[in-house]
Amino acid sequence: MIAAPRLRRFRLTQEDRRNLRTALPFIAPWIVGFLAFTVYPIIYSLYLSFTHYSGFGDATPAGFDNYTHMVKDPLFWQSLGNTLYYTALAVPIGVVVAIALAIMMNQNVREVAIYRAAFYLPSIIPLFALTFIFIVLLNPGFGFVDYVLELFHIPAVNWLGDAHWTKISIVLLAQLGAGGPALIFLAGLRAVPTELYEAATLEGAGPLRRFWKITFPLITPVILFDLIYGTILGIQIFTPAFVLTGGTSGGGAYTAGPENSLLFYVYYLYKNAFQYSDMGYASAMAWVLFVISVLLAVAIMRWSRAWVHYEVT
Amino acid sequence: MRTEVNAVTLLPRRGLTASLLSFLVIAAACSSGGGQSAPPQAGCNSGTKQVLFWTSHTPPDTVSMKNMVDTFNKQSSTDCVKMVQVPGSETDIAKLTTAVRGGTGPDVYELDRFTVAERAAAGVLTDLTPYGAADQSSNYLDFAWKEAIFKGKPYALPFDTDARALFYNKDLMQAAGVDPSQLDIAKGAPTIDLVRSIAAKLNKKDASGKYTTIGFVPFLSQGWHYTWGFAYGGSFFNASSCKVTPDDPKIVQAFKDMFWDWSTSLGVDQLQTFISTYAPTTPPLPTEQDAFLTGHLGMVVTGPWVLSWFPQYKPNLHYGVTYIPIPHQGDTPATWAGGWSVVIPKGAKNAKGGYDFMKYFAGEPGQRTYTKETQHMPTWKALLTDNSLYQGDLGLFVKLLPTAHSRPALPVGSLYWDQLSTAQDAAVRHSKDPAVALKDAATATNDKLQQFCPLQ
Repeated sequence: MIAAPRLRRFRLTQEDRRNLRTALPFIAPWIVGFLAFTVYPIIYSLYLSFTHYSGFGDATPAGFDNYTHMVKDPLFWQSLGNTLYYTALAVPIGVVVAIALAIMMNQNVREVAIYRAAFYLPSIIPLFALTFIFIVLLNPGFGFVDYVLELFHIPAVNWLGDAHWTKISIVLLAQLGAGGPALIFLAGLRAVPTELYEAATLEGAGPLRRFWKITFPLITPVILFDLIYGTILGIQIFTPAFVLTGGTSGGGAYTAGPENSLLFYVYYLYKNAFQYSDMGYASAMAWVLFVISVLLAVAIMRWSRAWVHYEVT
Repeated sequence: MRTEVNAVTLLPRRGLTASLLSFLVIAAACSSGGGQSAPPQAGCNSGTKQVLFWTSHTPPDTVSMKNMVDTFNKQSSTDCVKMVQVPGSETDIAKLTTAVRGGTGPDVYELDRFTVAERAAAGVLTDLTPYGAADQSSNYLDFAWKEAIFKGKPYALPFDTDARALFYNKDLMQAAGVDPSQLDIAKGAPTIDLVRSIAAKLNKKDASGKYTTIGFVPFLSQGWHYTWGFAYGGSFFNASSCKVTPDDPKIVQAFKDMFWDWSTSLGVDQLQTFISTYAPTTPPLPTEQDAFLTGHLGMVVTGPWVLSWFPQYKPNLHYGVTYIPIPHQGDTPATWAGGWSVVIPKGAKNAKGGYDFMKYFAGEPGQRTYTKETQHMPTWKALLTDNSLYQGDLGLFVKLLPTAHSRPALPVGSLYWDQLSTAQDAAVRHSKDPAVALKDAATATNDKLQQFCPLQ
């Protein structure tokens, strides 16, 4: 009874159908690509997650073996813990750094274009190259970061050799990519009506008050976007850990960082798929990661109702 | 409006015609130039068929391999080998797996020999029985041939091998007032106690208390779990029960002495700071900055390949080589040998040509060239008695070979290696008792191994 009018709304008119017929050939290559390279692998990986499969030959049905194995696999839990720890640190810090960069890029000074370019530049350097630079900067013997710490009589830190600091090193490294989100925040800042600031200034509000009462509430939709996007990217962290730990080279694979502290979820998934030839287990891990991503995104969306403002009220 | 509609309705047809034309052009381009007699690449003979050979090695090894490929191409009237360097490592074959699965894999791939069983079990490799590979068995060192076999069938031809020994820096010892002749190989294998006492005298710290030189770190370079496990007489695998046995009491003792206690004596954190500064494993430094070459490390367990580094990076280094230290006076010294092999991945387009090349590459002529040019050792038995190939200290490594251990060839070899490394790391950093860590490694590996048992 209620569904009928809803259905009617989606009924196509003759013109709609004609347009659809015209449009379909244009988007057909994309549809084929999407079905073949996205939809099919997703469904296939779900099937594989219930099998033992090396990537070759026939997959052997395994029921829920791969999923039950996860529960008792200490490296699965460690990789999940490492990943959530990293994400919980990197995402909020990333938002703060990106907002700070955006505010700096938004200053009304003549040479602002140069600053914008300078702040954005690290974001377009390949992560692979950035990671190698970081390794030199973080060397406890002759690295620049510890040199600066020691100038202030702060004890040197073994950034990449101490399990307590390795993830924090990668969080720091991730901030070099803050230029991308900063551009989005900059667009958000530019969209805030200037008359609000003028009115607030006339009322005697200082810069901090203006930020907390005007800027921050009005860029909350951008913050929400960045939180969700950052979380999804954060739990897929792979490249820096792979490069920092030397991948699997160097006279045979060693641990993924001290005490496997850089064994992130996707890194462990990769090892299972391509080192241990266990595509079934890797597929099951991928599906668990997907579910975790969805749950986190939904949780953030629900939480956002309490603090995101979509319009000036 | 009308014009727009016409334009839109016309477009798909024009698009169709354009697509058809492009297809014809591409098809024509693909079909042309396939002359029968032209060689597939420069340096090959006419009428030869391409053999695609992938290796993950880097120079200087690949320079020698290229020489071998060129020589083969000159003499072959049927095959033309194209060598391509690809990403990968001892245990990482992501590139190979995806290419083979996508139907674009090579005809020949260079694979770490201890993973042959694992890759064969996974179905990545072609059984070489139809090519008569089994007839080659008597030409190779026994342990190397066993690594090339899975469930009685040959899946690889063994290529090079190596062994591990203790290298020591005579200059550093003399500067510290230690007589290096104590370690002379003529005196037999040194005891671990002797090495410990010498090493203690070489340790140096700077004003801030950080180590700048350390006498010996047993777990750097080739000081692996396998190295000390074998040195202590441990056994890593029980064939009759089809179970890995890293929790063998002898291996546990090795872990306690060489990893846990050695870290304690140097200071766990201070030692880690030294390693991160001068000998990081995450990722390793370039060869010229190796801690032994730069004089920050007095002794190191490593393999014969470093012999080719000395003339290039540290020609004036006064070094010595001896056996891996033994736990007690009178023990038999132990070492282990690894090495690579060549295989034909599934779906190879020119498998027959690939096997012809493998016979040359991993046979007498190829291994002779490689030994001469890279200081690696051959697995081709007949070459081991040709003393002209072994200049200087390489001869010692050849003498070590007959008694060398090798890693168990398991379908979970990579996983086992990683599990042992995790246990080693835990012992070095005191995050888990060695006995517990090794028990965990056994549980995790056996869990995966059982699906392949029995292995014979």
